[in-house]
Amino acid sequence: MGIITVDKTDHLFWLGRYTERVYTTLRYFFQSADQMIDSNPGHYDEFCRKIGIENVYETKESFLLQYPFDENNSDSIISNLNRAYDNAIVMRDYIGTETMAYIQLAIDDIHNANRNITTIADLVLAIDHILAFWGCVNDMIDNEQIRNIIKLGKGLERLDLYLSLDLPDSDIIREYRRMKQFLAKSKLRYDEGVINTADSMTVEPPLNHKNLKNLLRNLITE
Amino acid sequence: MNELIKNAETINRLLARYGVKFGIYKNGEFKEQLFPFDPIPRIIKNGEYKFLEKGLKQRVNALNCFLSDIYGEKRLVRDGVIPEEFIYSAKGFLPPCDGVTPPKNIYSHISGIDLVQSKDNNWYILEDNLRVPSGASYPMIARELQRRSAPDAFSETGVVDNRNYADMLKEVMDYVNTGGINVILSPGRYNAAFFEHSYLAEKTGAVLTTGKEIVCENDNLYYIDYNEKKQRVGAVYRRISDEYLDPMTFYEESVIGIPHIFEAYKKGNVALLNAPGNGVADDKGIYYFVPKMIKYYLGEEAVLMNAPTYLPYYDNDMRYVLDNFDSLVIKDVAEAGGYGVVFGNSLTKEKKAEFISLLKSEPRRFIAQEVIDFYDLDILDTDGKRVPRKADLRAFVLSGSETKVWASGLTRFSRNPDSFIVNSSQGGGFKDTWVLSR
Repeated sequence: MGIITVDKTDHLFWLGRYTERVYTTLRYFFQSADQMIDSNPGHYDEFCRKIGIENVYETKESFLLQYPFDENNSDSIISNLNRAYDNAIVMRDYIGTETMAYIQLAIDDIHNANRNITTIADLVLAIDHILAFWGCVNDMIDNEQIRNIIKLGKGLERLDLYLSLDLPDSDIIREYRRMKQFLAKSKLRYDEGVINTADSMTVEPPLNHKNLKNLLRNLITE
Repeated sequence: MNELIKNAETINRLLARYGVKFGIYKNGEFKEQLFPFDPIPRIIKNGEYKFLEKGLKQRVNALNCFLSDIYGEKRLVRDGVIPEEFIYSAKGFLPPCDGVTPPKNIYSHISGIDLVQSKDNNWYILEDNLRVPSGASYPMIARELQRRSAPDAFSETGVVDNRNYADMLKEVMDYVNTGGINVILSPGRYNAAFFEHSYLAEKTGAVLTTGKEIVCENDNLYYIDYNEKKQRVGAVYRRISDEYLDPMTFYEESVIGIPHIFEAYKKGNVALLNAPGNGVADDKGIYYFVPKMIKYYLGEEAVLMNAPTYLPYYDNDMRYVLDNFDSLVIKDVAEAGGYGVVFGNSLTKEKKAEFISLLKSEPRRFIAQEVIDFYDLDILDTDGKRVPRKADLRAFVLSGSETKVWASGLTRFSRNPDSFIVNSSQGGGFKDTWVLSR
């Protein structure tokens, strides 16, 4: 058990990416919702632009009611979480039933929040369950390579989103260093040239976020 | 029992949490559904279980002898126990398997035998499933969760622990393994029983695969890892049908099989669980002959009875079926999963005439059975009230170094008060099956 194949690598990697995408976009969604209360009612436009999704929302209300829940929109939070589930369900024998359950619980949280929509605050439960999922990844998956492929996906997605959101260089450099540790332990094939260039970019801030983002897209060779 | 009932909702919630679902295609669209769990277990007393165990082992041993014979010497046909055409016209008889002996000469490693108990307390065999029987994982995980939520219900009842199914399965896989890793071959995530495939892989430590990572080279099977290193495969617990198993031998357009796997199997280089070609033994037409097989191969009388069955193929039986049509249930031998089942009394006059004409033109295609008055089991209805419903029992018999019966089973029930159909694909639910140790 625990033999890593190309297909399984792919599922583990994207499981990491999609769970991170849900986690970070949910957190940013809360920040955006906060801004829309009084300071910037149209902030959802900036939200969509920054994370690179189409702005199909006409009002802030439609954004708040649809972006987390709309299963017909592939950019929505629930769609990304469903993709995480699609990658998790085929890896039950590698990640374990207990670990997988937290993805299911996060999906249930979003469905429940949608059914009883009185406040978007209930979506925080989905964040809790994603954190519990990562806790399980750390705690219950014995195979170091499997663990680190998931974390590599998570780390790369986080970097991609942080760069898109133009977070401070210190945050990005911290996440870049963490991602490199996961990369080494994942034993996946990657382009060393990308790492060399990225290394040199990170020692000479300010970072060019757009260039680093484009560069990292070519890191994993398969 | 009250504790179990009180926690019914918790168990169903936990089953959902752990992804205990089955897939279903409705209007061309794939949907995952929860398999409704009823907290009131079927309880089988120890003495009754010993009787069932004896009968089930006997039946599966005879069926394994039958398969070995039918793809080998064919003594049974030569001796006229079963008409030749019943064998060769069976959809499940696969000519490429003729003359092929599987590792350790075991054909049906995992047999799912469906039984019902009648109101007079007799048990009847309804059908044998020797191809890819599913369902063991559901009571396995339900037991785990019930023990957690209602421990007192188990502390004094002496229920035999059923969580050893994965160990039993692994033991069988290891026994027939020809040298290499064990894998579970699944058609993939959109298969109705995918939960079971992935859960059993997790619990047995076998590698779950859809076959994409497996290649056949020099009549050996290899699992290719990320670095293109090959690991030999010694046993494949395949959860895909015979016809899709190998496009080079069977259905050539299959995209879920493994090309040349049959060659590797034929050469004895890999064990396939269950062996291809088993469909001939669980054909509903062959079912009629199982008591005769038991007598023929084992020299014993069958311990467990078949439901009274008639073969319209025989003139006498055809006459009986036509005279008693309204009181019988007619089954299409090629169908499964509760499909192709017709209750004589449910047809309109026109439909009945139409059906009888079909029966006369294709007598080999059908069997007729007396409708057994099932012993009903209580379930909790949606209001939490106990109501009786029809239920069957799928017993699992595993054949390795010896034949063993799993001391549990999948009890399926109909949620519709007027229905005998218990299949999950048609809205049925499931219960745990308790075997008492004393």
